[in-house]
Amino acid sequence: MSGAGNREAVFPTRQSLGLMKSKLKGAQTGHDLLKRKNVSEVIYHDPILPGISSYEITEITRRIDEAKRKMGRVMQIAAFSLAEVTYAVGGDIGYQVQESAKSARFRVRTKQENVSGVFLPAFESYTTDGNNDFGLTGLGKGGQQVQRCRETYARAVETLVELASLQTAFVILDEVIKVVNRRVNAIISEHVIIPRTENTIKYINSELDELDREEFFRLKKVQNKKQRDTAAQDAEMRLKRDAAEKAEAASGSTSSDKENELGTGDILGESEDADVIF
Amino acid sequence: MEGLFFNVNNGYIEGIVRGYRNGLLTGQNYNNLTQCETIDDLKLQLGPAYGDFLASLPPNPSTSTLAEKTTDKLIAEFRYVRANAVGALAKFMDYLTYGYMIDNVALLITGTLHERDTRELLERCHPLGWFETMPVLCVATNIEELYNSVLIETPLAPYFKGSLSHQDLDELNIEIVRNTLYKNYLEDFNNFVNTDPDMAGTPTAEVMTEILEFEADRRAINITLNSFGTDLSKTDRKKLYPSFGRLYPEGSYMLSRAEDVEGVRLAVEGVSDYKTYFDAAGMGQSSAGAGNMSGGTGGDGKSLEDLFYQKEMEISKSAFTRQFSFAIVYAWVKLREQEIRNITWIAECIAQNQKERIGNYISVF
Amino acid sequence: MAAPASAYKDRQFLAVIGDEDSVTGLLLAGIGHVTQPPDSQKNFLVVDSKTDNAAIEEAFNRFTTERKDIGILLINQHIAERIRHRVDTYTAAFPALLEIPSKDHPYDPEKDSVLRRVRRLFGE
Repeated sequence: MSGAGNREAVFPTRQSLGLMKSKLKGAQTGHDLLKRKNVSEVIYHDPILPGISSYEITEITRRIDEAKRKMGRVMQIAAFSLAEVTYAVGGDIGYQVQESAKSARFRVRTKQENVSGVFLPAFESYTTDGNNDFGLTGLGKGGQQVQRCRETYARAVETLVELASLQTAFVILDEVIKVVNRRVNAIISEHVIIPRTENTIKYINSELDELDREEFFRLKKVQNKKQRDTAAQDAEMRLKRDAAEKAEAASGSTSSDKENELGTGDILGESEDADVIF
Repeated sequence: MEGLFFNVNNGYIEGIVRGYRNGLLTGQNYNNLTQCETIDDLKLQLGPAYGDFLASLPPNPSTSTLAEKTTDKLIAEFRYVRANAVGALAKFMDYLTYGYMIDNVALLITGTLHERDTRELLERCHPLGWFETMPVLCVATNIEELYNSVLIETPLAPYFKGSLSHQDLDELNIEIVRNTLYKNYLEDFNNFVNTDPDMAGTPTAEVMTEILEFEADRRAINITLNSFGTDLSKTDRKKLYPSFGRLYPEGSYMLSRAEDVEGVRLAVEGVSDYKTYFDAAGMGQSSAGAGNMSGGTGGDGKSLEDLFYQKEMEISKSAFTRQFSFAIVYAWVKLREQEIRNITWIAECIAQNQKERIGNYISVF
Repeated sequence: MAAPASAYKDRQFLAVIGDEDSVTGLLLAGIGHVTQPPDSQKNFLVVDSKTDNAAIEEAFNRFTTERKDIGILLINQHIAERIRHRVDTYTAAFPALLEIPSKDHPYDPEKDSVLRRVRRLFGE
């Protein structure tokens, strides 16, 4: 029972063997197709995305995931620094801040970054000088906290900008990722589905063979038994005949009748044997 | 002498306020609060002190609604006391509200300047600074109208008159407007407690002068520190310093010329208390750090603002050691405000899972 | 090769749709910008319990499609939930849409439309 761990759960019948065989054929055809049109070829023909490796995509998605989690923590720290402002100022500065916002000090520059031949958009944060809408916030009370909070939030926004770059790269690479997805399917089909189907077929075959062997052995046993029985009968018969011959020799009148009886008995025995052999 | 007739008019109020003071949370209470795992636990712990006011809160309320409800209690008590106050005490309590009024008017000015519907702002106003004619200010559609109605309708008129014109409201940063008003207010309040026939020479004047002088100095120092790196000029800055206090006039003069934290430190050198704070907060050395209250820098040191708050609380606490004084009302309000800020802080630390900083509250009892 | 420069070169601002605390914090960081009068458009929207979904959607559309100077749009996750259908169907690269946590609503990667795409991709 080789590969018992990696096969589909089927009853080893001839019908399922047929099913598996057609499945394997389908998987192989599909795999050949996927292979023939594999990702490097697709990308090579795609003018926008020349040769980006799946490694880079995995890398980007991994970094998105990581950065998003990091963002959760960073934003929490920032929110806490705002709580400190509320504590120090002893009131709500929200409205005042909203109304004093005039010109963005924190801006982004959108540029393109060359990642192994692919131009990916990237954001870069920068601050404009001499632009301070909130410099006097908390002048009489809590100003130091306000400044500290601004710094904390500015750092948090830098993280957000970094994350946005990654994410934009991801969105642009979405197409590539779909293609890679196909490649992943090809790999799955090559390394998982095809071997598994093959294993299943092997298993069914071996099970069927085993059944055949069992059956053959059983029949052989039956045949042996039958032969033994016949031999025993023959011996008995012979004894009877000998006895009869002796009796005939003694009487001599009824011998022909007995001969006839024995002949029919033999014929029946033979026909039975033939049946068993079939 | 003042003790002879004080209780005729003000005995009841004094009793009530001293009762309120005994209801303030103690160090033991705060210890219990900091042990809480959730806001619901916190709510439960606050039950004895704030029961009725917190009852309507939903499970796990946000910290801002918690702060709102705890403030409601202060407001309710303040209004009760105010309703029972007569004569000079009533006037004194009105003065107390002017500070909040300044904040509210500053809010309305901001709204009007940006042509917002100021009616929406009314609910953002501090209830202690509420005055009957406040909705009238919302009718104003431009800053000149607002300026005129402030002059007519509010008790703040004297603070505007002479130092701010309606063009100033348009041109100056709202923080400068606010601090100018506050300076005028502090000076007026100080003048009031020291000249009113019912208060001059009484413990009220004595304690209040101490409190107000401290407040004036604190503002002057804060303004100076916070103005570094901004476009606030030294002459403009000087105009924001109240013209009394322990730093006045020499310290104020030196503050007005200070260019960095070191300069501020030199200016306050003459007053040993402030000098101690500067040393404790590690200010005036190489890094002008805002201290411990900010940015998760940790450490046991307190920031200058923390130390000022601490000092304010201690002055307020000691105000209760004096008999026959209105100052206890002021002190009680300040203590209560600090209590609310403490509760909010602890709630915030619990809600945001920042337990290591939870001990940053200020408790004096 | 590259996306046309016109698609992004003017995008220099961040925009935010969030609750009061988030907006206040981000404005303190200095992202707030109000365009020249007379139209004086803000690049931020404060959402509270009284703000209806239509207003959020309108701001979302304004920041994502109408305005061409927004590079990144930040939106509180719990607000994104309210207009989830719009957020999930938004696939343009510019402006980048970023779901951020708020004080009262910690970040839940399960709800993030982009992370969900990442997940789906790797069949997790």
